[in-house]
Amino acid sequence: MAAWDLSVTVEDLGPDAPPIVISVTSDLHIGRVILDVVQKTQLQRDWSDHALWWEQKQQWLLRTAWTLEKCGIHADAKLVLTPQHKPLQLGLPNGVTVRLCACFSRAVFHTVVEICKVLNIRHPEELSLLRPVEVKKKKKDKDHVQNIYDLTDVSLTSDSIPCLYNGMPVHFTDSPKAEDIYKMLSMCQPSPSPEALAKMYRPASIVDKTHIHTRWLDSSRTLMQQGVQQDDTLWLRFKYNTFYDLEPKYDAVRLTQLYEQARWAILLEDIDCTEEEMMLFGALQYHISKLAQSESQNRVSGIEDLDCALQSLELKLEGDKSGTTDMIENMTAPELNDYLKIFRPKRLTLKGYKQYWFKFKDTSISYYKNQEERFGEPIQQLNLKGSDVSPDVNVAGQKFCIKLLIPAPEGMNELYLRCEDEQQYSQWMAACRLGSKGLTLADSSFQREKKSIQSFLSMQRSNSGDQSAQTSENINTFSLLSPRYQKKYKAKQLTPRILDSYQNVARLSMTEAILKFLQIWQALPDFGISYFMVRFKGSRKDEVLGIANNRLIRIDLGVGDVVKTWRYSNMRQWNVNWDIRQVAIEFDGNINMAFGCVTADCKIVHEYIGGYIFMSTRGRDRSDTLNEELFHKLTGGHEVL
Amino acid sequence: DNDLDALMADLMADLDATEKLAAEKKAAAKDPHPTLENLHLPSPDHASVPAPPLPPAHRASSVPVPTPVPTSAPAPAPSSSTNPPSAENEEQAKADKIKLALEKLKEAKVKKLVVKVEMTNGSSKTLMVDERQTVRDVLDNLFEKTHCDCNVDWCLYETNPELQTERGFEDHENLVEPLSAWTRDSENKVLFREQEDKYAVFKNPQNFYLWKKDKKALKDMKDKDKELLLEENFCGSSIIVPDLEGALYLKEDGKKSWKQRYFLLRASGIYYVPKGKTKTSRDLVSLVNFDNVNVYYAKEYKAKYKAPTDFCFILKHPQIQKESQYIKYLCCDDHRAMTLWVTGIRVAKVSKAPISSPLTPRTRISRGPTAHCVVFSTGSRCTRTTRLTQPLPPPPLMDVLPPPPPDPVMPPPPPLPNKGGLPPPPPPSSVTKNRGGALPPAPVEDFPPPPPLDDGELPPDFMPPPPPAAGVGFYLHGGEALPPPPPDPVGLPLAPPPPGPPPPPPPPPPVGAPAPRPVLPAKREGPAPPKRTTPGLSAPSGGDFMSELMVAMQKKRVQQ
Repeated sequence: MAAWDLSVTVEDLGPDAPPIVISVTSDLHIGRVILDVVQKTQLQRDWSDHALWWEQKQQWLLRTAWTLEKCGIHADAKLVLTPQHKPLQLGLPNGVTVRLCACFSRAVFHTVVEICKVLNIRHPEELSLLRPVEVKKKKKDKDHVQNIYDLTDVSLTSDSIPCLYNGMPVHFTDSPKAEDIYKMLSMCQPSPSPEALAKMYRPASIVDKTHIHTRWLDSSRTLMQQGVQQDDTLWLRFKYNTFYDLEPKYDAVRLTQLYEQARWAILLEDIDCTEEEMMLFGALQYHISKLAQSESQNRVSGIEDLDCALQSLELKLEGDKSGTTDMIENMTAPELNDYLKIFRPKRLTLKGYKQYWFKFKDTSISYYKNQEERFGEPIQQLNLKGSDVSPDVNVAGQKFCIKLLIPAPEGMNELYLRCEDEQQYSQWMAACRLGSKGLTLADSSFQREKKSIQSFLSMQRSNSGDQSAQTSENINTFSLLSPRYQKKYKAKQLTPRILDSYQNVARLSMTEAILKFLQIWQALPDFGISYFMVRFKGSRKDEVLGIANNRLIRIDLGVGDVVKTWRYSNMRQWNVNWDIRQVAIEFDGNINMAFGCVTADCKIVHEYIGGYIFMSTRGRDRSDTLNEELFHKLTGGHEVL
Repeated sequence: DNDLDALMADLMADLDATEKLAAEKKAAAKDPHPTLENLHLPSPDHASVPAPPLPPAHRASSVPVPTPVPTSAPAPAPSSSTNPPSAENEEQAKADKIKLALEKLKEAKVKKLVVKVEMTNGSSKTLMVDERQTVRDVLDNLFEKTHCDCNVDWCLYETNPELQTERGFEDHENLVEPLSAWTRDSENKVLFREQEDKYAVFKNPQNFYLWKKDKKALKDMKDKDKELLLEENFCGSSIIVPDLEGALYLKEDGKKSWKQRYFLLRASGIYYVPKGKTKTSRDLVSLVNFDNVNVYYAKEYKAKYKAPTDFCFILKHPQIQKESQYIKYLCCDDHRAMTLWVTGIRVAKVSKAPISSPLTPRTRISRGPTAHCVVFSTGSRCTRTTRLTQPLPPPPLMDVLPPPPPDPVMPPPPPLPNKGGLPPPPPPSSVTKNRGGALPPAPVEDFPPPPPLDDGELPPDFMPPPPPAAGVGFYLHGGEALPPPPPDPVGLPLAPPPPGPPPPPPPPPPVGAPAPRPVLPAKREGPAPPKRTTPGLSAPSGGDFMSELMVAMQKKRVQQ
């Protein structure tokens, strides 16, 4: 067989080095070609990850047993010998960028699986990669260099699920640096500054919301085939809004990143919510970042173990109710006693506050004419259970009032309690809060409640005072809400509203708070809908197609109203005509619809629908193995067949 | 009670003794504590004087309880160092006695009400309800006492003649608490009756979740689609609230006029669109959230309040018993709208149930469509077809909501009856071109034939009564209790109770529950309800109940 010359560029020799030319025959195996080339370079290194990339055809030659002839390679082919894994800058949902080695030679779906294994995120099928939104670099920002965490050295030893050591996956325990990265991955990031938040891009309309989805990479092709270069930046995001089997025990990173993605979606108005909901989201963020702060402080000072021990002790004490002392304590709940002022607004009366001696016991407030009469009959006793407690506070004006709405057969009794100072206020407010939930002062959350009220007061103080007084420990109210509220309200208007919501969540643990956040996020009416600009067959105008985990939604572009909904459960089949880039879907009852994609690639839409069908098949065979083949069948398009 | 009194006397003597001892030791600087105080039981009327025990008529018996002062508890500690060992023993004995007495006190503290329940035929039954019992427990009790058919529509209803309202208690609610809110002279009643709307959302979820569709489509809904809807909306990490919206009339605060507004229901509350604004979420104004209110059907408000129609409902704090500006009065155009809204609000209330302890997180988050068998056919060169064929017969579903056995002591699921190797479901009807290898894995099991009862239409008493062993209904339960139809075909209500679990301790003898009239012991209908768990054990405070249920469900899932 005739020999001919094949030129192969070896990346490791540097960008300017001439290609290496070897003499080959057409029946030579790819593996042999690589070996010959490597020998010619005379470089000593590990070549095991290298493979040949055929530039003209934009494809990898990964089957080393195939001959040149079988691959269809002739003398004019430009081949490159290059590593299959290259470093990539990866923007995580929490806004942090990590640098890690990603696979450039297999389908993106698999690349994501590998990345998630390194990051310790389960169920990688829910995530994917997308191209970042270009940020116009201003010269001013140049000196601002973002801290990039390097994970390129991390090597996974086995294919199995990484086992935990010290609560961390083993591959993060090698060095303190790696441990820091794990902490970054699994702990919530501090809230952004309101200024930074205001500068960030927010979609203003449903059309804007379609843009982000045009950026997803094709899961069935490799990074290299999609023009991604070494050290390019890509974003890793949760793509399919159906989160399977969230398990706080194993999902520290997954939960945190999911929370971060949800939080940014709320802050940047990717998903709309009402003011009341926004306040609750704000309160949860506040709570979570407070907990994260204290947790990281504990870690630094090494009190962690002590803290754990204390906590378990507390649990033990709470659990062990049979002890005599506990029982006595239970029956003799502590009380609060003090002089407070009371005011009952009644129609047409302008009576001011009157001072009485107050006693808080169990869930009730009683008041007496003065301290001496406290053993007699109270003037009134009010059971706070089920009542509405809200703050009426102005720190600057030294006004510390508690507004109570106490249910009674005739309606709600409205009254105000006025406290002298912050100390008194936080105590009585905490007591009222617990009382309204039917809890006594003996409840373990009393101290926590008190503390959180105090921290909120201090937040209000720093907001109303000069801005420079803010310390890192304080969290700005505006960091917790979408920038819209910066314009609409003053901080001192918002703080009490967040505090109001906060009382309902203050007792949650970190994980509970994150789960709660995700739960409310998922309960929003618009949750989980990805928007695409399409043109329906037979229609002359552009419309929006919403793809959710169980349905497709046709949305009028002008009004934003839902025109029609189709559920996957009624879907019989869907076809893609790749020549005219049209998706046609048939539903039960001979309902047919077809649309062409206007902005996004047709493949992205196809993959989304197929992806959701795939997600719904999970868990039925009860094995945890990921059925990659099925995913590609459902989402691949014609290339796979 | 004599026993208790004797003990109490004993205790008080002891306490006095210890008190003196302790007082001597303590520095006089301290505020002299009153040695004895009267602790009143939480009784609905805020009696403030140490009242003599009320006649054991209608209310909880309120025994004035001497409360040991905090100092008496640690008393043994300071004294033990100085006292001889014999005294130590004495102290120990005293402590034991105190403990015993306190336990008795605790039991005595449990509030009990004697409740008169009116039957459909106008007669009434009287039962003792203790504050730890849920409505479900009381219903089970009533099933035993009456000859009703025990179907799932039976419920306890509260009526308020003054407000002309009524409301079905949810199965997971406690009965004593709402009843304690009634005024002394209240004419409110508790009724025991069948109410179709109790489970309507599970029987026909499409009527609520797909309410925008036309009536025919809703009526022709297939069972597997209903099941899918339930799974989507109730089995995810959060319960999805029906996306109701529409024009309703609102009676303005303190005024007589009714004003029409456009309302939307969300998990976080009821909102309306302010004048001149759109339905955008951030513009909505909150009318009410569901933290402290219940929803009630209102009767004949056309006459009472000049409402536009008689299809009204109100939202109020359960304690409010009379007309008040704190009640929200709403009026719908027709009966269907009223049922939609009231049911939607009930779902929303349940969806707010607190998330459970971190140990029992919800594992399943929305799954999307389930039973699809996906088949590919090779299309022509340029066309690729992904074909969804007839879904497999869904995991056999008796009815829309077989209650998951919530007994935490779950027996391992009996082996699935697929040994016989029933032929897999008929191959998808899609024609010819299927490539052999292209079949994605179908669900692993061959499903047994659908249970005989699997009808399209659901007659009202279609569902067998919930197994009382559960101690739980599936009536809008705090969330997860709801429906995920156990895919495990054996968990069906018809199946005999699983043999495995040790029966929970028998219920405590209903203290003094007077059998109103001798009931013939025979002829209990429906499955025998032998194993009711003691309410006190299964639901110590009512709150933990849900998490237990969840643990059970999770176990079940794992076992599958």
